[in-house]
Amino acid sequence: MSAGIVVESVSKTFRGGMVRALDGVSLSIAPGEVFGIIGPNGAGKTTLFGCLLGFLRPDAGGVTIDGHAPDDLEVRGATGYLPERLVMDRWMTGRDFLAYHHALARLPAHDRERDVEAAHARVGLEPEAARRPIRKYSRGMLQRLGLAQALLGRPRWLFLDEPASGVDPAGIVLFRRLLLELKGHGVTVLLNSHQLEQVERVCDRVAYVGKGKVEAVETVSAGAGAERVLRVRWSSAERAPAAETLAAVAERAGGSIVGVDPGSARFQVSDDAGASRLLETLIGAGVRVIEATAEEGRLERLFLAGRDTP
Amino acid sequence: MNEALILATMRQRVTSPVRMVLLASMFFMPLLFVCFAPGVGLEPLSNGYGLTLILAAGIIGQDVSSGVLQLVLARPVTRREYVVSRWLSVSLMGGLLASAQVLIAWLLLLARHAAPGPAEAFSRMGANALSAFGGAAVITLFSTLLAGFGDLAILLLASFVMVGLYGIGELVHQDWVTRFAAELGGFLVPEIPLDPIQRAGDIPWVAIVSYLSTVTLCLALAIVVMNRKEFSYASSS
Repeated sequence: MSAGIVVESVSKTFRGGMVRALDGVSLSIAPGEVFGIIGPNGAGKTTLFGCLLGFLRPDAGGVTIDGHAPDDLEVRGATGYLPERLVMDRWMTGRDFLAYHHALARLPAHDRERDVEAAHARVGLEPEAARRPIRKYSRGMLQRLGLAQALLGRPRWLFLDEPASGVDPAGIVLFRRLLLELKGHGVTVLLNSHQLEQVERVCDRVAYVGKGKVEAVETVSAGAGAERVLRVRWSSAERAPAAETLAAVAERAGGSIVGVDPGSARFQVSDDAGASRLLETLIGAGVRVIEATAEEGRLERLFLAGRDTP
Repeated sequence: MNEALILATMRQRVTSPVRMVLLASMFFMPLLFVCFAPGVGLEPLSNGYGLTLILAAGIIGQDVSSGVLQLVLARPVTRREYVVSRWLSVSLMGGLLASAQVLIAWLLLLARHAAPGPAEAFSRMGANALSAFGGAAVITLFSTLLAGFGDLAILLLASFVMVGLYGIGELVHQDWVTRFAAELGGFLVPEIPLDPIQRAGDIPWVAIVSYLSTVTLCLALAIVVMNRKEFSYASSS
């Protein structure tokens, strides 16, 4: 039985203690879990990744992965890593790069060619790109190649630091699909991303890191219970309902009206049930609702509701 | 020792155009001297240190400053393995080039009936190869101390100190100062002169022990420094 990733009271300072990057961070990530880390720039997310990968030594506390130190070779052999600032040997071709990492990962040499081709195809890179020097790759292609190297050898632990940075929309969809596929295979994924929508779609739980501390760890579905603003549109063929009518309907449904615009109105609702109640009441009052959308994503609501936004 | 790292280092070194131009100059210029002035024998040839210096400059510091190292160290590769593989890679290249230079020069001299005996040529090839391995160890240590091409700066500074101390020692007639400068020089350019063995069969034990201890010390210190290093751009931001 794997012990997962355990971070216990990790503190880390830089510049002789002048900069406190992490301050008593504790986390427990279960095997097979997709865990997101979000927070503002400079919050300590990358430092946390550095400690998790064994690149940085915590001043206090400790990290274990499956009961081992993060720089244990057994752990490293089962780890895939995609850094935010992806730097590669630019003289290599894409194929050379993947073959090099295949060898460094101590994977069987007789599988190299097949595995490299499969990894290349898996991230949607054209076969022709495999023969091209990395210096000729676009930012998005580099990111895809970086993900391909992280996926070599079917890692059990995957650390992704801003994986979709610089990637086109098709790439973002592909990354999301790959993450969901990995989740299905029981891979433990740590995802550091500013793209809250992406985090929300793939993660089981999310930690909000701010000023070197884990301020909250929430399951993503907890957002369903959070208050949000719902924008409701009605058919333009109909006469717009009066603002007083809308306010009365919102009050009956347990919500409140935030504002009225031509063809739509914004309502404050307490949770998913409140949103459902509001829509039922509006339709019951004769408003021909054609669309209802939450103004922010669930994660945005979750954190905007509970924390000061920087 | 890691075969993938050794081969990748070799390819990395030869894909730098500046490095290749410098290497070609240092390799072919002495051969031109030999070609046009066969009377000088094998004297114009370098001792392998210069060729190795060109190949080894930034051997670890470049990977540290570029950020490439983090991806490598995320793999099941120990830092000791990384240091030794990088050192071995440039040592092999430098040693082979330096030996090949002697061989080509000797063949050129042979064609002009001015070649020294094969024993002298082989002794020179061996000494050059040893010089390449020794020099690479020193550069590897310096390269772990400073990022980028900081190793060259350390080497230059140490060379100035050595020359300065030597001058001061001579000026004030202090033997211990000149001796210290000579020891520092021996550390910066570790080599084993094989001429005494070739000429009289005398084994230079002191030079051998000094060479081996320098190479071992440099590699051990390089591994210690690397093991203590932290790698994350978060630490430098």
